[in-house]
This record gives sequence, C-alpha cells and structure tokens, in this order.
Amino acid sequence: MSEDTWTSSKKKSLLDPRTKLLLIFVEAVLVLATTGGEHLFWFRVVFAMLPFLLLLTAKRYKTCFIGLLVLGVIYFLEYTVFPYVNGAIAGILLIIIMIINRFLPAYLMGVYVMGSTTVSEFKAAMDKLYVPDALTIPMCVMFRLFPTIKEENDSIRAAMKMRGIRFCGRKAGKMLEYRVVPMITCTAKIGEELSASALTRGLGKEKKRTNICHIGFGWADIVIFLLVAATLVYWILGVFA
Amino acid sequence: MIKFENVSFAYDATPEEKSLRNFSLTIEGGECVLITGPSGCGKSTLLRLLNGLIPEFYGGKTEGSIKIDGNEIRESSVVDQAGKIGTVFQNPRSQFFNVDTTSELAFGPENLALPEDEILRRIAKTVKNFSIGTLMDRSIFELSGGEKQKIACASVDVLAPEIILLDEPSANLDFEAAENLRELILHWKNAGKTILIAEHRINYIWDLADRVVILENGVLAREIKRDRIARFTEEDATRFGLRCLARTAPTSLVKVENEASGQTQMDDTIILKNFHYSYDKKQELYSIPEMKIRKGKVTAIVGANGAGKTTFLESVCGIRKNSGIMVSDGVSYTYKKRIGMIFMVMQDVNHQLFTESVLDEVLISQPEEDENGAKAILAEVGLKDFSERHPMSLSGGQKQRIALACAIASNLPFLLLDEPTSGLDHVQMYAVAEILNRLKNEGRTIITVTHDSEFIEHCCDDVIRMEEA
Repeated sequence: MSEDTWTSSKKKSLLDPRTKLLLIFVEAVLVLATTGGEHLFWFRVVFAMLPFLLLLTAKRYKTCFIGLLVLGVIYFLEYTVFPYVNGAIAGILLIIIMIINRFLPAYLMGVYVMGSTTVSEFKAAMDKLYVPDALTIPMCVMFRLFPTIKEENDSIRAAMKMRGIRFCGRKAGKMLEYRVVPMITCTAKIGEELSASALTRGLGKEKKRTNICHIGFGWADIVIFLLVAATLVYWILGVFA
Repeated sequence: MIKFENVSFAYDATPEEKSLRNFSLTIEGGECVLITGPSGCGKSTLLRLLNGLIPEFYGGKTEGSIKIDGNEIRESSVVDQAGKIGTVFQNPRSQFFNVDTTSELAFGPENLALPEDEILRRIAKTVKNFSIGTLMDRSIFELSGGEKQKIACASVDVLAPEIILLDEPSANLDFEAAENLRELILHWKNAGKTILIAEHRINYIWDLADRVVILENGVLAREIKRDRIARFTEEDATRFGLRCLARTAPTSLVKVENEASGQTQMDDTIILKNFHYSYDKKQELYSIPEMKIRKGKVTAIVGANGAGKTTFLESVCGIRKNSGIMVSDGVSYTYKKRIGMIFMVMQDVNHQLFTESVLDEVLISQPEEDENGAKAILAEVGLKDFSERHPMSLSGGQKQRIALACAIASNLPFLLLDEPTSGLDHVQMYAVAEILNRLKNEGRTIITVTHDSEFIEHCCDDVIRMEEA
C-alpha cells in the first residue's frame, strides 16, 4: 500500500462474529461442562480439536503448537503415569488432568475469538443481534483494555524486577499490594483518558451509529452451524432413546 | 471566533485554588494560537473549557462567559461539540477506542451517524493529506508513539472540525515525531482551521503560531502578536519560565571524548557489548556491537526510535532477557547479574511507584531503611513537604523527582533514565538536570535516553548516537 492512498478492504475473517459467539457457548457447554456425557464423546473430540484448526486459519501457529504440546503432555500423564500412582499424588494429578482437558479447548477458542475479531466487527454483530449500546459499548472498551492492561502489567513487573531484590525478605508480604496498586491507578487513568477522547469524538451523540464494518455468513459459518445442529439432534435423540 | 470574557475556574478537588483567574482572550477564526506557561498554569484547563470536558468530565466552578461564534458554550456538553471541535490529547496510548487504525478513523464519523460512503470518502481524504496509507489496517498496539499520535490527529481530521485543540501533543514524542506533528499542524493551518495548542515544548511550533499566549498561575502574563514572535529571545523565554525556542536536533549534539587522546583508560569506562534486538528475524530494531560509556559521567543516547531506545535500556538494566554483556573493571556481567546493580527511571514513572507515601517509596529503595537519610534525600530533590503524600497524588514533575530520590537512596553505581524530561517545564527540567549533575559528582555513572537538546546541553558530558539497524 502506498503512503497516501487507501481503499477500504473487504477482507473478512473466516467466521462471522455471531458464529464465534455460538462456538464459545458450545465449547463451554459441551467440552467444559461435558453436557451429554459418554453419548456425545466423538462430538466432544471434534469440538475439542476445532480451536486448534481455527488458530491455524488465523495464522496463530505458536499458540496452536503450545496448546497441542500441553494436550500431548496431559494425555501422556493420563495414560502412562496416572495408572501407576496412588494416594495424594494421584488425586492431584487427576485434578490437573481434568482441569486442563476441559478448560484448554474453551480457553483456546477464546484466544482465537479475541485475536481474530475487531472491535467494529464485534459491534456490528451485537447490533445485528439487537443488543443495546448500553451493553455493547462497555464490552467494546474491555476489548480495548485487555491488551492495555497486559502492557501496564508487563511494565510494572519489569519495574518490580529492577527493584525486586531489595524487597525480598523485608516487605515480601506487601508484594501483591505493590503490584496491584500501580496497576489499578494506571488502568483507571487510561480508562478515564479513553472516555474523554471518545466523548470528544461524539460517542453517544446519535441514537443510531453508522458502522462501516460489514459482517455476514459464509460457507465456513454454514459448516459450523451444521456441525452444531448435528450435535444437538444427536444429543436429543440420545436423551429420548 | 472564540471569545473568553472574564473567565475564572476552580476544580472541585481544589476549590480554593483557581486554575484560571479573570481570563479574557479573543481568537479569530483561522488563527493558530500557542498557549504556554509553567506546569499548572491553566493551559489544559483552557482547552477543557472549550471542548466541554469541563464541567462534564472534570467538575468545577466556572464564572464568566465563553462564546464560539457568538453562542455561549458554557452549558453545552462534550458531545455537542463533537464534529465542531476536535481534540488531540497528550498520551498516545490512551486515545484510542478501537484496536485497529481503520476503525479508529471511522469511529468519530460513525458516532455522528454519517452515511457510509461519506465516511469512506473522508477517511481516504485524510489518509491522502496526512500520507498515512502505510499505517492503515494495522493494530494500534504495533505502532510507535509518533505513529499513534499521527492516527490521533487523523481521527480528529476525519470529523472535519473548524476548531482543533491540542493538549501537549508532543509530550511523549521524540524529535523526528515532533517534526512530523509540526507538518500535520501546518496542514491544518493552511486549511484555515482555528488551532489552539497547549505546550511546554514550544520550539517545534514556535514559528507556526500567529500568536503566543503565556499563562502564569491562571492569569494571562503576556500575549505576543505575530510580528513580535520573531523578536522574542531565549532570555525572554527563560524569564517567563519557558523551554528553549531553538529547534536543535539531538543528533547534531553528538560528542564523545576522543579515545586516541589517551585520556580515557580501561578502568574509567564500562563497555556494553553485543546488544541487539529484533521483533522478528527480518527486522532488527538496533544492533550495538560495542559501546563505551565513561564512568562518573552523564551520557545521553540519541537517535533511533523511541521503542528501540527503551528496549535497549531495559536490556542494559537486565529486566529484559538478552545476550548483551556489560564489562566494568574487567568483570563481565550478563543480564541476570546486572539486576540489582542498576537503577532505572522509566519513561512512565507511574509504573515504578508502589507505596502509599513518598517517604515509604524512598525507604524501600534504601539498602538499609534509614528514615533520617530518606528525609535528607527528599529535601535534596525538593520534596521535603510531600513526604506523607501519596505518590499518585503528585504532579508529573514531582513523581519524576520521587523516582530520582529512590535512585539516590538505592546507592547503586549505575543509573539509567528513559526520557526523563518528557512533559516537564523549564523549572522542572532544570531540577532534574541539577540532581543528575550532583549524582555525577558523587561518582555515579548515568546513561539517559533523551530527545531533549536543551536538557543535553545542561547536564550531559557525552552524547552517543544510536544507529537504527
């Protein structure tokens, strides 16, 4: 792209934001809460693998690889180590395995959704679902604040590290406070400046804002819908069978 | 036309202390006015009264009348002014509502419910005028401070306001970025916009202004008209407590003691070896095979971009993992060993103030807590009366001095500073320079990254240019 021309690009992410929301819901119900039990085992496997596939389409190779690695280690522990230990260690191991097994796919789906959705896309999706602005605008700000909080946190951690050696032993009990106080003041300050800037640019002036971002369903969305529908039908059949 | 008539204002937090007192000023349409004066003189207050952030966002008591084109605006809200008045703020990190640049530009016009074609047309026009094609469709978090400030200006420009306010827009920018900002302001000036700029750092826009207004404690101290601006001297500026007027590139001040003269010996210097950093394999941010720093001197590092210099300081300090080696007195130190040897004052000092009182902050920095010693240090940096205050309740310049007090208290031999004078006025800048000179005389080695030529001239012995890779 040259220095002084710009044309709006119609490049869209693979999935519609509404489909992504549906996916987070399904991950939570099916994989995290294991609704449907043994009957839906294979569907659960499919949905547990889906986030990895989606991360690949979003070119998040590193996250995908680390996720697979963690999952691999967990399966290794489950099938080779777990049967041979007992007592407290077995209990702890079981808890770790259960938690990671269930949470990882939902977490990675969250990572994919957060990483691949722009604030405007999210806003457009919410508008189409008739969610009121009073609810979506604070959520938009959260999207924006998460990376900011991370940046602030990294800076504060670095500052603590520089001075950290001095704290050890003496004020160890206050470490948390030292970490949290600047974090809250910095984030609150950024939030305040953010609102000031948004207000001067007319946020909330008109009842109906324009949104230049267009969203719509494509073939990938249809595939996901069919998959979810199939799961639902199979589950209902199982309940009444 | 903007008309202030006998305007007085006091913030709710400090009702007895007026930020503006009986202030009157008339600004013609298309005029470019620079408002300056020491910290706390009321220049930001002036802008907030115009864009409506006072009283809606910052509560307080206003007296007098403020009219734009004959209409009283004291009763109008912030959003009423959206589209008519645009504001560029100080902190490039906190002005963005969206995460990607294109949505950010569209944000303002979307709020005004303009039709989509119109929005796209306006964005294309702004992109063309500001030459920011390469910044479009990017994540805000990937941009440098200067690039963010360009986007902030662009997101105001798409609203096509007649009046543009800039509240210390260059506080976090380096020399080149400030020069770029100057170009954008010049563009607005040529387009006939009415521009009000509140700034400490006046040199980059001094010759653009049609009028300069100097405030002191909320009172108009001096008004300089177009034909007199060129005759205003550096001495005059100093008398009013202003920063320098000359636009000197920090890179033009590069000077290093000649090693061949034999004056510098090995044990008088520390050597930084093999410092390099890259975001990815393709693009290297900086690469320093070897850099010699004289001990017991203040060395300024100039050039390259802000991000590179900050990363470099973090690497030297040891808080960032890196392969650089520091050699001092014949001993090599890796990054892990450097932690605890070096004190760093960060660009945003808010990140390194942890405690409930200024005194506590100094106490936890001392190797052994010593209250009398800590108080002596606070007196030295001019914060004696603030020892019981919460650090976050103080002004930017005062916080900077708390961090310096901690550096003194730490007794560490090496001190790093990242842009220690950003957003400081003349007096505050001198205070920092003075403290550094004192630390130097105590034998400490100080390295500062800075874009501030005036500051360099006052306290730096060596100036090293960091080349961009």
